[in-house]
Amino acid sequence: MNNIIEIKDLKKHFKEVKAVDGISFCVKEGQLFAFLGLNGAGKSTTINIICNLLEKDGGEVYIDGLSIDDNMQKIKPRLGVVFQENSLDVRLSVYDNLKYRAGIYGLRGKAFEERLKYLADRLQFSDILKRPFGKLSGGQQRRIDIARALMHSPKILILDEPTTGLDPNTRITVWEFLNELRKDMGLTILLTTHYMEEAGEADYVVIIDSGKIVASDTPNNLKNQYAYDFIKIYEYSPDLKERLADGEVEFKEESGYLIIEVKEIAKAKEILTAYAQYINDFEVIKGKMDNVFLNVTGKQLKEEIK
Amino acid sequence: MKERLSAFGYMLGRNIKVYFKDKLTFVFSLMTPLILVVLFLLFLRGVYEDSLVNSIPKGFELSKKMINAFTGSWLFSSIMTTSCITVAFCSNMRIDDKLKKTLRGFEIAPIDRFSLSLSYTVSNFITTLLICTIVLIISFIYLAIVGWYLSFGDVMLIILDMLLTVTMGSLFISLVGRVINSQGALSGVCTLVSSMYGFLCGAYMPISSMGKGIQNFVGFIPGTYSTVIFRQAYMNGILDEMKSKGIPSQAVDAIGKGFDCEYYFFDHKVAPWVLFVVVIVTIIVLLATYMALNLKLRHKKTQPTV
Repeated sequence: MNNIIEIKDLKKHFKEVKAVDGISFCVKEGQLFAFLGLNGAGKSTTINIICNLLEKDGGEVYIDGLSIDDNMQKIKPRLGVVFQENSLDVRLSVYDNLKYRAGIYGLRGKAFEERLKYLADRLQFSDILKRPFGKLSGGQQRRIDIARALMHSPKILILDEPTTGLDPNTRITVWEFLNELRKDMGLTILLTTHYMEEAGEADYVVIIDSGKIVASDTPNNLKNQYAYDFIKIYEYSPDLKERLADGEVEFKEESGYLIIEVKEIAKAKEILTAYAQYINDFEVIKGKMDNVFLNVTGKQLKEEIK
Repeated sequence: MKERLSAFGYMLGRNIKVYFKDKLTFVFSLMTPLILVVLFLLFLRGVYEDSLVNSIPKGFELSKKMINAFTGSWLFSSIMTTSCITVAFCSNMRIDDKLKKTLRGFEIAPIDRFSLSLSYTVSNFITTLLICTIVLIISFIYLAIVGWYLSFGDVMLIILDMLLTVTMGSLFISLVGRVINSQGALSGVCTLVSSMYGFLCGAYMPISSMGKGIQNFVGFIPGTYSTVIFRQAYMNGILDEMKSKGIPSQAVDAIGKGFDCEYYFFDHKVAPWVLFVVVIVTIIVLLATYMALNLKLRHKKTQPTV
């Protein structure tokens, strides 16, 4: 697969603050690429630079083989962007909103009507086309905004916290459709998210903290590298704690169960075999992206989700 | 070029539609003219009538029709001059889009920055012109009812001055709008311009009745010159009628001077053609600044517009 986005040593400073501090990464064509980080980590600054909303202080950015420095007009039609806040007009109808936005991208007449019908069917908004955008629910607005970004059939879709405010069913509908576009049309998705399950679904994850990339790999490799597995022991004989202490196995006692952190699954198997006679009920939990983020940055992502 | 024009057309259409869909902005745009009408009905008409009657030499009398035509012409020349500027100030879509973060949705679209800026300025010009045309028609209907003394030339002069003043207002707010980055600043500028401009251009009280210092100061405000053109165009007919009824020319000229049909810049009477030159030169300077800023923006972009 070709690199559709290439970023080399990208830098952006706001006075003394290094918002983006020399980051480099590549996004492959058709990939679902997740950008993970707290607010202020540098995610949105990077996206604003890619979209030419902000000028970089250093480094290079190539989109589909073209440098953003002097090819932005050629790059723009290849990008579809969904920002954190909706960018449509609240007083215009859904139809008018999409008509004007599509028109600016050169999509009009029959071609627009056909594309609109396709997106309205797939993202389930055919019945609200005539309603003012501002009168729609948050979930409906988000779907229309995603349709707006896809109207001109971009090669790359940039999603900045796209599913915030969506109910679980709508989130599933949106992701099913986006995955279909990836499969059928090779759409590349660059995603920033707070949701661990979304990052966990990505082909590749980059974790950014204080303007620097602190980890990057596939979700599985990141979990193997940074996340610990856990053994939760619910029912056990009274001797177990003593035996674990004798065997120098570290454990924590939570309300109703013991928890043992293990680096890898083989170690879990070893402990369970060694202390099998003392254990009646247990489960082994694989490490999650939450743990990866916590171990890599030392920060809890949940703090920000609240 | 065709695509560029088409994108510009869609952007222009969108701006105008959004403006007229927002009834509150529309009503606020008309606030200054409405306040002037109320002030006129409650206080100003009586004051002007008294002032006019007292200025007529003994032995001469004006008909009710002429008095009404005089006060009506004064009122509508005030309303027209304030409307052309304040409506332009309070109806600039770009500032609103910037504050609502809608603008960046257009900045990532394949419409070049100059066309984007121009679409906002042209839509601002069109919406302001539409509203001012409504006010103009109302003024003609009013004068036709109470007493019509306008010649064809006067009407053309009023229309020409309206076009020039609206152009000046639209260009000026397009430039000022670049530094407005908050809703508070926008409201502040709108309030300041609406109240100060009405006062400084002599909409509430004639410039000739202000102190010498203020009279000289307003000479540095280009709007003063377009105001005097409106005064002359609206009131020349009724002043000529007074002369034809036998009222001494000196007395009529004194009335004209007292009601701002003439303007003295540091005691030098400004000729009618100079009034136009000042307005046109101002427009050229504003246009040159506008072009320079927009062309500069095409090459350099260091701050996010959102």
